[in-house]
Amino acid sequence: MDLEINVNGEQWVLNVAPADVLLDVLREQVGTKSPKIGCERGDCGSCTILMDGRSVRSCLVLAVEAEGHDIVTVEGISYEGMSQLQDLFISTNAFQCGFCAPGIVLAATELLENNPDPTRHDVQDALAGNLCRCTGYEPIIEAVLAAAPARQEGDSQ
Amino acid sequence: MTTTFPFEAESTEDELKTVGTAAVRIDGLDKISGAAEFVDDMDFGPGLLHAAIVESPHAYAKILSIDTSEAEKAKGVVRVVTGDDFPYKFGMYMEDRYIFAQDHVRFVGEQVAGIIARSHREAVQAAKLIKVEYEVLKPLLDPKKAFADDAELVHPDLGDYTHVPWFFPQANTNIAHWRKIRKGDTEKAFAEADYVLEDTYTVPRYAHCAIEPHVTVSKLDQSDRLTVWTASQSPHTQRHLFAEALAPLGFTHKDVRVITPYVGGGFGGKAGVSMEIMGAAMATLVKGRPVKLRWTREQEFYNTYQRQGVIAELKVGVMNDGTITAVEHRLYWDAGAYVEYGANVVNAAGLSATGPYRVPNITNDSLCMYTNLPPGGPYRGFGYSEFHFGLESHMDRIAEAIGMDPVDFRRKNAIVEGDELAYGAHMNPSGLIEAIDKVADAIDWGTDEESDNPDTVMGKGMALFWKAPAMPPNASSASFLKFNEDGSLNITVSGMELGQGYLTVMAQIASEVLTVPVEKIRVETPDTDRNPYEWQTVASHVTWSSGLAVEKAAIEARGKIFDVIHQVYGYEDDSLYLEDEKVKCKTDPDFEKLLSDFVIDGIQTEEGTWRGGPIIATGKFMPEFTNANSDPETGQGGHPNVHYTVGATGVVLEIDKDSGRIWVRKAALAVDAGRAINPDLVTGQIVGGLVQGLATVLYEDMRFDEGGKMMNPTFTDYKIPTAFDIPDEIIPIIVEVPQPDGPFGARGVGEHTMIAAAPVIANAVYDALGVRIKSMPITQEKIAMSYLEKRSG
Amino acid sequence: MIANEFEYRRPTTLAEATQVLAQHSGSVKVLAGGTDLVAWLRDDAIAPDLVIDIKAIPDLRDIKIDGDVLHIGSLVTFTELIESDVVKEHVPLLAEMAETVASPGIRNRATMAGNICSAVPSCDAGPVLLAYDTAVHLTGPSGNRSVDINDWFTGLRQTAGTDDEVVTHLTIKLRQHGGVYVKLMRYAGEDLAQAAVGIVAYPDNEYRVAFGAVAPTPIRSAVIEETLRGKPLDDDLVAAVVAMVPDEISPITDMRSTAEYRTHMTGVMLKRGLWAARQRLDGTGPAYGARLI
Ligand code: FES
Ligand code: FES
Repeated sequence: MDLEINVNGEQWVLNVAPADVLLDVLREQVGTKSPKIGCERGDCGSCTILMDGRSVRSCLVLAVEAEGHDIVTVEGISYEGMSQLQDLFISTNAFQCGFCAPGIVLAATELLENNPDPTRHDVQDALAGNLCRCTGYEPIIEAVLAAAPARQEGDSQ
Repeated sequence: MTTTFPFEAESTEDELKTVGTAAVRIDGLDKISGAAEFVDDMDFGPGLLHAAIVESPHAYAKILSIDTSEAEKAKGVVRVVTGDDFPYKFGMYMEDRYIFAQDHVRFVGEQVAGIIARSHREAVQAAKLIKVEYEVLKPLLDPKKAFADDAELVHPDLGDYTHVPWFFPQANTNIAHWRKIRKGDTEKAFAEADYVLEDTYTVPRYAHCAIEPHVTVSKLDQSDRLTVWTASQSPHTQRHLFAEALAPLGFTHKDVRVITPYVGGGFGGKAGVSMEIMGAAMATLVKGRPVKLRWTREQEFYNTYQRQGVIAELKVGVMNDGTITAVEHRLYWDAGAYVEYGANVVNAAGLSATGPYRVPNITNDSLCMYTNLPPGGPYRGFGYSEFHFGLESHMDRIAEAIGMDPVDFRRKNAIVEGDELAYGAHMNPSGLIEAIDKVADAIDWGTDEESDNPDTVMGKGMALFWKAPAMPPNASSASFLKFNEDGSLNITVSGMELGQGYLTVMAQIASEVLTVPVEKIRVETPDTDRNPYEWQTVASHVTWSSGLAVEKAAIEARGKIFDVIHQVYGYEDDSLYLEDEKVKCKTDPDFEKLLSDFVIDGIQTEEGTWRGGPIIATGKFMPEFTNANSDPETGQGGHPNVHYTVGATGVVLEIDKDSGRIWVRKAALAVDAGRAINPDLVTGQIVGGLVQGLATVLYEDMRFDEGGKMMNPTFTDYKIPTAFDIPDEIIPIIVEVPQPDGPFGARGVGEHTMIAAAPVIANAVYDALGVRIKSMPITQEKIAMSYLEKRSG
Repeated sequence: MIANEFEYRRPTTLAEATQVLAQHSGSVKVLAGGTDLVAWLRDDAIAPDLVIDIKAIPDLRDIKIDGDVLHIGSLVTFTELIESDVVKEHVPLLAEMAETVASPGIRNRATMAGNICSAVPSCDAGPVLLAYDTAVHLTGPSGNRSVDINDWFTGLRQTAGTDDEVVTHLTIKLRQHGGVYVKLMRYAGEDLAQAAVGIVAYPDNEYRVAFGAVAPTPIRSAVIEETLRGKPLDDDLVAAVVAMVPDEISPITDMRSTAEYRTHMTGVMLKRGLWAARQRLDGTGPAYGARLI
């Protein structure tokens, strides 16, 4: 089937089978490798992408379902340099192996867009579907809290 | 007496510039921008083929026939593979495994056949068409039953297997290895002890759950060179095992190349060789075509190494003043169907099963039992987490029985530098007492906390840990270092960046010696053709061992730099030093020479000729004081371990009396890093390791049905922590009692931080509710039901 | 990767959808959020030859109030429930329940209607929709009909909806109430319910009590509701209904829990839940979203 989707601001026309999941199509046909294959059944969050601004697990979306939707991956938010959040992740050594990082960067990005002043609980909730085996989450949570727009404004005052 | 170390690193208390700072990870930008490339992210072009594996549904069965005819005809199929294609054995410490099953399958999920097809979907579909006929045999699922005299044999030919000299398999039994320690006279000591406590603790199997599944792409090119791109902790060991196992096909080591980019977490699961050998072997049948084999999450659970289960029978004798006089520890390990790697876990645990205590009389029996469950293997903690559960639970119980505070009891018996170890060698310098005191302080040991919620109660616990790297006595590391025109550095090593921050730490060590800033140092992930040897990235040894190799290379490079300066300007080498990327001279304060001015091009002499040239250096490290030749009956005489890293963990928790739910309100963990080369990264290990350890005690648990099939091979039912499942507060404490032979005094900390998590929870639950749980995991359900029983009975 | 191939259709009207369903003779699955369906496809647990995606059909996304009737379209996701002002104001219990479903990446796709169509015993929406006496509205080849939620769950993963019908929306009749959803999980993170209790308390001591994950389907307990009816809540009354729990549920022992723990905890959750629902009705209870266990 023909599929037209927008990935990181670029329009793609692809040929896919109905049984192809979006995760595989993004990785193999579009070449965006930041969404990772961790479980392929919605349990780990490493395939997280933003679809029309909301985080979804691309392993649970058939590619054909994405017709007409806007998809953003970490590559997409990194073109113009790192976001405030990404900078903090780097400078605080928040990640270890980094396999979960693309998904977590996006889940946290979604949170901060909708909630400029999240509590620790809000951050935990936003990241609860993104498994990280390395870090114990603490440094990630701290970096997200520090990157919150409300906190950033507070800092600059 | 203390061990004398042949190599004293030059590290001293001199002011350090880079070592000891929280340098920003050199892989940070890669990983956060999405640029970091893992094996599955690499492109191999349109010729890439995909493999799928046919697995045994039975835990123990004889293969009667395999019918591949339908699969061979299926769409997209390029080649079907069975055990007949590769009748070769392999194994890390003991050759007991086959690339594909031969006449028997010994665990559910074992590879029986493989499909290579043009697409992943076609491979998986074709795999369903292979028909295997089995004669089902009765599986052995319990290590104690496997030990019984009349047990069926999982490996009837055990007596013929090749293995390392420090293993002692017992032919015609299921005992693949029996590590014995006999020291002093335990029988007498128990008879004379004021109090003796004996009990059994059980620990189930656990899964590593790196978020990146195992994946490998292999290609045999037209010139007969086999390249394997793999998510591995052990590129050189993999190359060695591939070359050995496939030697009948004509491969030598130089024909086999292993390339490992970033790895998405290891925890021991990607050490040695597991599924990778199937991919490597299959590729030899389709010359010119790369073949990808990627494990599903389910396969990740049931056909890679698992952390072995154990039944631990423990007996400890003490005097009324709290002195431990004897320990008898009998460990029945459920080592699984193949123990080529796992037997060394058993060995390591047997050597150290007294825990970090001074014990004069010891009887340890660590039994590596074959069972019909998936192969056991290395997992962060390498046997120590498993035996610490019982041991550290036991210590609390003994302290209570003799009326002593459990922290005082531990402090009294804690091992210190120079104490004799179970196998006769002596303990290295360590900050165990400092760790105990700091953790006790951090959790306000001695003050009871009250919950203001009537449904909950508070509890506190403490537990100690120790661990030594478990490696062959001659495991070594090497490094190459070269300067670039601008004075920046490229370093190649073959340790793996698993997330622990290894690359950054190596850069910091080189930076410290050569004064080149960390940002100007690139440390490369391995390619066995180009990078120098490293045994494996396991055992928490690379900071120490590979760090020493890098330090030596940096020192060699510095020597060459000084030589050039000496040749051209005549300053004596020992008057020269490096500062801010310049050579300076103690005897001539006006002299300075920028490294970037000459490390490639050399220095022009007055007559116009040149001296020097590219500065390159090598370093290697192999411990030369270790030996594994001990007496098989007593374990005495060798020096199998290089050193121990020690520490303490404490928690404050709140428990809902009805549901059993636990909130870890506070956790403190002190580990003696010798020297924290990067405190941020050590803290990362503390927090990450502690959370991983807490999960093993609170909810993780591999479950198998009566047929030996794993029932929960998904994250839906094998729960690993989420962002909600962490302590409210973690207090990381870094103790620094330097390791004399470590780079700048450093020793490894990667595994240690999860080791005491299980007993510390057991002890705190007891403190809160008076319920002692002796089998892991200590789930909320177990707590609730035990407490209910206690209340009603 | 999904190994089995299938055909995919994305109708743009309900009529087209029902027509496709009626005409198709093989096995067919309706796709909404897909968080169950795609996982099952990938697991090879189902192998339909046709998947009908209903997300292009308009008018299935409303959350609105018509008089005293709340209307929730079948494509409304759990995230939309959490973020809806209507829900916040009139049925905060739905948001409390929705917040316990998986995590944002799932909730952004998964729909509440899909949850009761999958109809696994632990479906979070089950106990709450039961306690609300929800009506499930369907359309099919023979027209529209509605099914009382109390008749909806017919067996393990089975519902009163037929293969050629599509759920269009759910309706709940609103009156003043307090409610609670208590979910037992193996840990604080994303998990399926080991057991769950949904309670709605109406004025004059009228209660609706439903359980999840302790029977082949989510269930109501008429006996407990009857016992509570008209009596002011006190410790003895609560103890009396908690004592009825073992006879009202039929939990199994499985991977996630033993039957004993499920039974014990259903009682604990009922006890804490009744008090919380009652207090919320009175405006004094813990805020919606606060965890009781
Ligand atoms: S790969 Fe999609 S959630 Fe794990
Ligand atoms: S950093 Fe390794 S999984 Fe998160």
